[in-house]
Amino acid sequence: MNYLEMKNIAKNFGAINALQGVDFSIKAGEAVGLMGDNGAGKSTLMKIIAGNLRPSSGEVSVQGKEAIFSSPLDARRLGIEIVYQDLALCDNLTAAANVFLGRELRSGFGIIHRLKHKAMNERAAELFKELKSETRPKDLVERMSGGQRQAVALARTRLSDPKLVLLDEPTAAISVRQVAEVLARIAHLRDTGHAVILVSHRMGDVFQVCDRVVVLRRGRKIADKPISQSSPEEVTGLITGALEAV
Amino acid sequence: MLSEKHFYSLIDNLIWIILVVVFIFFVTQSEHFMTERNISNILTAAAVLGVLVVGQTFVLISGNFDLSTESTLGLGALLGLWLIVPAAAPTFGGGIFLNPFLAIGAVLFAGAAIGYAVGCLITFGRMHNFIVTLAVLLIIRGFILAFSEGAPVNGFNNPSADIFYWLGHQKAFFIPGVGKITVAVVATGLLFLVSHFILKHHKFGRELYAIGGNRKAAEQLGINANRRIRQVYMISGLLAAFAGWMLAGRVVSIQSNLGEGFIFTVFAGAVIGGVSLQGGRGTMLGALGGVLLLSTIDRGLNLMHVSVFWVKVIQGLIILVAMFLDAQRVRLRELRLSVSNENFEQKVSPKDEV
Repeated sequence: MNYLEMKNIAKNFGAINALQGVDFSIKAGEAVGLMGDNGAGKSTLMKIIAGNLRPSSGEVSVQGKEAIFSSPLDARRLGIEIVYQDLALCDNLTAAANVFLGRELRSGFGIIHRLKHKAMNERAAELFKELKSETRPKDLVERMSGGQRQAVALARTRLSDPKLVLLDEPTAAISVRQVAEVLARIAHLRDTGHAVILVSHRMGDVFQVCDRVVVLRRGRKIADKPISQSSPEEVTGLITGALEAV
Repeated sequence: MLSEKHFYSLIDNLIWIILVVVFIFFVTQSEHFMTERNISNILTAAAVLGVLVVGQTFVLISGNFDLSTESTLGLGALLGLWLIVPAAAPTFGGGIFLNPFLAIGAVLFAGAAIGYAVGCLITFGRMHNFIVTLAVLLIIRGFILAFSEGAPVNGFNNPSADIFYWLGHQKAFFIPGVGKITVAVVATGLLFLVSHFILKHHKFGRELYAIGGNRKAAEQLGINANRRIRQVYMISGLLAAFAGWMLAGRVVSIQSNLGEGFIFTVFAGAVIGGVSLQGGRGTMLGALGGVLLLSTIDRGLNLMHVSVFWVKVIQGLIILVAMFLDAQRVRLRELRLSVSNENFEQKVSPKDEV
């Protein structure tokens, strides 16, 4: 059974049709590359999956049950985590505070509570160690390098054991050595039964770690095929319009 | 050379170092400075300012401004007393003779309602916070003037008014070496403690910092920024009304221009204490330091018999210095960040780069 099933998804912003009639699905243990030119609708689709946007029409189901996300928290509760392209970090907060932002550990009841700083710092330190990162939980994010910032964003996805991880251009702003590390982490997620959606412009990354590639152009899905049955040249042609839908 | 940790610690605690230096300076300038009476006066003067600065600090940390609080302060003081005292001279009240406790409740409710309305205009109306709060400042001030027709409201020889004055007037206890501590000072101290806890140890405070630091990221992670902003303005309005109630007890006769021009001192207190106008940075303890510094300077210059006109000049210069320090803090942070990034990049072998 597919973990995530999206049928006939459309999203309009006024007169602009960002997505039209898009079907998308992904299974556990599968990595799917989502590709397309700027404005193709990739970010819009990601935001719908992550709960930031509601589709104008269409159905979304998670593990066979209909899912309606009114906020990112709803998506998280169903096991969907996202690492945004800009990493969604608050420079003025510590690494640990960023990791737990929106789901802080607290002691107390309801509105009468206290944040559990020590527990959050310790858990964040464990996560950074698992990610083989030198990031320190009490350091402010503004003082961190690109790789450390990415570790903070990735650590968020490991707070609860997610079923689906979305990565939006995770290798766009890091060094070559760090790219290899990120791709290794994506492969590890896939190999340990997680579903992974990788949005990327980098053909090499997609063909290295993904099982399937989905191509969007002008809000429509024009290709959805196993990586083994495609090639970088074919995908490039699909993105640019040199090739029609396959 | 200072370690990075000590460097940032020094920047963040600069206000306390400055406060000690200024305090020592005034001790050398006037024999009356280091007296129980003067220390008590410093704390009492700091109380009303402190309450307003607490409210403003919450708003600033969320990345917003609230210019309207000086008018809400005036309205709170005037409305509260007006509801209690007779209509005729010399009190010029409303003749409603409302129970003073209900009057206090009405004042606080009015402040919270004004703040919430401001928050709604900014969030639902998508209007700029500076313009909205400036407009509300003018509207409320105009309303006070029109309502009172320029006449003061007084609580002379009125037991109900005495209850209303209690917060700003009543002595709580005496500390040797420090002097008389009023209920207002105790209330403000408790307010700072609770507010410090909220900012540092409560989810509400954490979300305010996130919204002020990177609102888009906060919303992407499920934080309802608009709801928090409305709440923060409601708190600001409530505290402004509370400060008005407090100030009424110190001035007794409520003039229709009460609080006019005070907003600049409020911003100065917050910014000097390290609260950034850009949002997301600052602490309640730093703001407390800013309040105490301003109050100390005000009392110190008074004891040195400096003309009130020059006091205004000095207050303006203090605001400029505070803004300069804030800009330098940002610049030094960016400088340290670029240095530490260079050090990181040097660890990566050149041949790894494409």
